[in-house]
Amino acid sequence: MRILLVEDDRDLGPAIARALRDEHFAVDLADNGIDGGHLGETEAFDAAVLDLGLPGKDGVSVLRAWRAADRRLPVLVLTARDGWSDKVSAFKAGADDFLMKPFRVEELVMRLRAMVRRAAGHAQPRLTCGPLAFDTQTGQFELEGLPLKLTAFEWRVLSQLMLRKNAVIERLDLLERVYEGDADVDSNSLEVIVGRLRRKIGATLIETVRGRGYRLAEPR
Amino acid sequence: MIRRWFASLYGRMLALSAAATLIALGLAGWTMSGVLERFVIEGLDRRLDSQIAILSGSVDAAGHVDRRWLAERQGALAEGPGWRWRIAGPDGTIGSADFPVLADGPPGPPGPDQGRPRPRDGAAENGVAVHARELVLQTGGGTVRLTAAAPRDVIARPIRGAVAPLLAALAALALVLVTASWAQLRLGLAPLRRLRDEVAAIRAGQRSRVDEDVPSELRGLAEELNALTEANAAALAGARQSAANLAHALKTPVAALAIALRRDPDLAAQVARIDATIRHHLARARVQAADQRASTALAPAVDDLVATVARLHGGRGIAIATRIEPGIAVAVDAHDLDEMIGNLLDNAAKFARQRVAVTAERDAGDARTVRIVVCDDGPGIPAERRTVALEPGQRLDERVEGHGFGLSIVRELAELYGGTLSLGTGDMGGLLAELQLPARPA
Repeated sequence: MRILLVEDDRDLGPAIARALRDEHFAVDLADNGIDGGHLGETEAFDAAVLDLGLPGKDGVSVLRAWRAADRRLPVLVLTARDGWSDKVSAFKAGADDFLMKPFRVEELVMRLRAMVRRAAGHAQPRLTCGPLAFDTQTGQFELEGLPLKLTAFEWRVLSQLMLRKNAVIERLDLLERVYEGDADVDSNSLEVIVGRLRRKIGATLIETVRGRGYRLAEPR
Repeated sequence: MIRRWFASLYGRMLALSAAATLIALGLAGWTMSGVLERFVIEGLDRRLDSQIAILSGSVDAAGHVDRRWLAERQGALAEGPGWRWRIAGPDGTIGSADFPVLADGPPGPPGPDQGRPRPRDGAAENGVAVHARELVLQTGGGTVRLTAAAPRDVIARPIRGAVAPLLAALAALALVLVTASWAQLRLGLAPLRRLRDEVAAIRAGQRSRVDEDVPSELRGLAEELNALTEANAAALAGARQSAANLAHALKTPVAALAIALRRDPDLAAQVARIDATIRHHLARARVQAADQRASTALAPAVDDLVATVARLHGGRGIAIATRIEPGIAVAVDAHDLDEMIGNLLDNAAKFARQRVAVTAERDAGDARTVRIVVCDDGPGIPAERRTVALEPGQRLDERVEGHGFGLSIVRELAELYGGTLSLGTGDMGGLLAELQLPARPA
């Protein structure tokens, strides 16, 4: 899962980014409204965390611009303004969730996972595919009921496949959602990650769709 | 008591006007009785002079007195008891036996006035004061003194008789004048009293300015008061804004601290306390000034808030039903209305099992009041804890967010606008919060 974080505070932005990376998220950080708005319009993200008081362009305007451009990524507004009028205007601008500063990292992570799951069309927090289970509240994968230990890259790939179970995910789309924007991507690395995943969860669950990408298929 | 009277403008002005009235009337009475006395004395003098004329008729050129002639006119000389006459000349002294001792009157004017009577006053042997006139004739036989005297009582009696009703009339006049100045003061000071009531209303938050349509002497004061009120409101808004800015500015670094310290429970608890304190004072800063001219349509505000609260509690499947009488507006600032209804809805959604209901309507008995009722099907608050729940800062130090703090803020905001918040048990079994706010006439 790749998150767009738009936060101008020089301490808080990197601190949130680190905390999210600890939870395996890929995080792109923008420290102003103009860069953040542009990133959200041009690149693929699973969710955005948006501060309201931003230099360049305020958060509500960024959000409106995304919605006007039909960018449907789920957006969590993170703000120091805690008045109800601020909440109303954030939701009217198209926010999906609202969190006040200061907040607990666990709360932010839980809400991000829930937002991404709902955006993918799942009502229940626990997703399964044959022997594989994904608890979207804790972010834990289980295989045959036992916890599955994954690296951050493996987790990002497998959670994408799990959220869009049975659908083919384009290679480029997957790459965009696994690597952060400034990462040095080796074109073979995705194959390496998928190879390692297949060794951990069995060779058959992840199908390679030639010329297009990958698919997590429910075993028949 | 007297000190208190003098401490008031009213007492001072009334005392001053009463004193001036009494002095003026005293002076008028004294002058009028003086004038009256002069008239009475002049009348008496004419009568005495006519007696002297009779007396002089009996004196011939040689200074002899024609006693027979005099006896024929005796009747004209006996005006009443105590009236006396005397002729002193070469024939000796004739006249009333008990003629009083007279002091020497003022020396008569020299020259042509020599033939006219002069006033002479004195006292009889029995001590009764008398008023006399004396004419000195120079005859061939020597000097003849003709004197006529009357008791002073003849002067005093008519004056006494006239002054008593005069004093009564003057006293009545004094009463009328003092009453008039009392009425004048009441009427004149009425705009000041009205101004005081308006200033009191400003302090109570019932109005924002005093009426500047006042008598010209007070217009400057009214304008200054309004300027002062505005400066005060601006200072308050400024202070409120600084408090809010400070709180907002602190939140981001506190958020960074919270992340950095999240693995240490003791330090994380300190950060949570800092956060709670900031929130508390930010909410307090917001509850400071009510804009009396505000007008906010209820239905759109409630719809937005219901949508917002539904999203915030989206995971719990709470159904929020609304029934808002169309076209209602309240005399409350939009942000403050959002705070009140947002907090009530948020509380209800937090504690509800499945359902929350919001209704709003004009009060059936009083069209100036709008009743907004929020109820849920949660556990409610026991009757004995409801009062405590509305007291400010109840849950400040407790970690679990509850009904308390939000409700006390709602109550304070409502009261700022002259409204109320009351708690009860609703149809669905949970808490019923009834907010009464002033309606804005359509």
